[in-house]
Amino acid sequence: MMQRVSVLIIEDEKSICDFISKILSTNDYKVTSAPTGKEGLEVLTSSMPDLILLDLGLPDMDGIEIIRSTRKWSSIPIIVISARTQEKEKVLALDAGADDYITKPFGTEELLARIRTAIRHSNKIEADQVNSFRPYSAKGLVVDFEKRKVTVDGNEIHLTRVEYKIVSLLAKHSGKVITYSSLIDEVWGPYADDNNRILRVNMANIRRKLEKNPGEPEYIFTELGIGYRMIEDESI
Amino acid sequence: MLKNLTHRQNLAIFLATSLGITMIALFFREMIANPDVNITMFYILGIVIVARYTSDYIWGLLYAVLSVFSVNYFFTFPYHTFNLTLEGYPITFAAMLIIYVITSAMTTDLKKQAQILAKQEKELAEAQKEKMRANLLRAVSHDLRTPLTGIIGNSESYLEMEDSFSKEEKREIIENIANDANWLLNMVENLLSVTRIDNDTTSVNKSLEAVDEVVSSAVVRFKKRFPDAKLKIFLSDDVVMAMMDPMLIEQVIINILQNAHVHSKSVQPIELHVEHRDEKIWFSVRDYGVGISENKLETLFEGESYSKKEDDNTDGYKGMGIGLSICKTIIKAHGGDIKAKNLDIGSEFYFDLPAEKEDMSYDAESISSDY
Repeated sequence: MMQRVSVLIIEDEKSICDFISKILSTNDYKVTSAPTGKEGLEVLTSSMPDLILLDLGLPDMDGIEIIRSTRKWSSIPIIVISARTQEKEKVLALDAGADDYITKPFGTEELLARIRTAIRHSNKIEADQVNSFRPYSAKGLVVDFEKRKVTVDGNEIHLTRVEYKIVSLLAKHSGKVITYSSLIDEVWGPYADDNNRILRVNMANIRRKLEKNPGEPEYIFTELGIGYRMIEDESI
Repeated sequence: MLKNLTHRQNLAIFLATSLGITMIALFFREMIANPDVNITMFYILGIVIVARYTSDYIWGLLYAVLSVFSVNYFFTFPYHTFNLTLEGYPITFAAMLIIYVITSAMTTDLKKQAQILAKQEKELAEAQKEKMRANLLRAVSHDLRTPLTGIIGNSESYLEMEDSFSKEEKREIIENIANDANWLLNMVENLLSVTRIDNDTTSVNKSLEAVDEVVSSAVVRFKKRFPDAKLKIFLSDDVVMAMMDPMLIEQVIINILQNAHVHSKSVQPIELHVEHRDEKIWFSVRDYGVGISENKLETLFEGESYSKKEDDNTDGYKGMGIGLSICKTIIKAHGGDIKAKNLDIGSEFYFDLPAEKEDMSYDAESISSDY
């Protein structure tokens, strides 16, 4: 029998917790839940789940604290659940080590997709040696990391060095949101200007080269105030 | 100047004026042969200045007395002596005093009027804000109650009479609940966006954003809500950036798109244009539908059209009263303007934002094309 993936939900709202549990159980996940941060940390250490769904607004402690204390000893994927207007909080959570976030209210499909992506990425870290040079591909976009070549529907796209760096970074973490600051750190180094302008301009040019209509992107999505997300790799 | 000044400030004004006027008058005494007439004029000017800018009668009076003596001391022959027996002197003294009293009364009156005017203006602005808030609140409670009624009614009827419904009926009930809940969410997101605007200064937290990204993000969210909506997007060719709160501008674009999708009955895809001209960024949403009735055109953005008449062709509570008035508040807070107009076929909603002036060239390093 296949081993079921276990998910820990740390969420104080009972109705939200209930409906997430139902969705996950019917989709063959093993679910445990905790209504407070303290309980959550206890369950986390005793049952070692494969993934954590974490609400940032808990009654007893700040969700960011849970991320920080978990990251001291584990790389278990954490998906943060938060409201739309709290961009700063989301960025803070991602920078503290959360893998992804999902915005309330969310649909079933969205939730399941985020969980699949996070699980896939955590497996990928273990199998990195084998996978790292496998090309990314989705909806006709292919990024070949070995040849450093990007094609859309078979046509090669000419990117500048910086543009390629950005695209390949997003492709390697496809399906996950990458914050502006971590992109800038990776592409321009830790001493780069904190100003996002150069990143925005590069991204606008990338879009004009990759997307058929930059107004309705197919490959790279903007998460306003937070960062970018590339469409999930289909080849896995 | 309208506040009550301290004694020290009054004294400073008084001394500065006296000294200044006397210096000028002395200068004229040396330069012009028969300066008497001009010199009196200067002192009268001094009275006006002191009466206007000090906050007590006493300073003007003091100045008047001082002027009389200075004229006597510096400017009547023999110079640099007091000569109170001079012919006609009491008349000069009396004339200066009368002039003082009149100008002082006039300027004080002026000051009071200005104060009253400023106060009235402030009260008016306060009242307008209050009116806007009351309007919004009224609109909200109206617009929130309707979908809530639907949700409560549908869910209760399901819970109480589950067994008597067919499978299709059950599905319909749940669909109604989902629709109403989505509408509520839309409303709440609009209201939340208002809380991002500072109530006192009506200012927003701006950052430099790429216009493309805000537009595409809005379009993605709009399409998620209305998957069957037909939409064409035309972005400007150059990369345009602007200072804005991206979440708020996204909300405005979504509201206008939604308005066009729900109300216009457009027979062709809705068009969203972004253009960069005259140091401004112009966003416009054009539909090919029924247009806006002339009497609504004026109050469209005032948030009042929600309750006026039920006989128009909008479908019940799904009017855009709040949405559009929030759009206006947001755009105004960004230093832009939003308007709507009818075209030959359909209508157009458009707004502008100030564009970032700096030129958008790449840095030299990243231009080197190959890696």
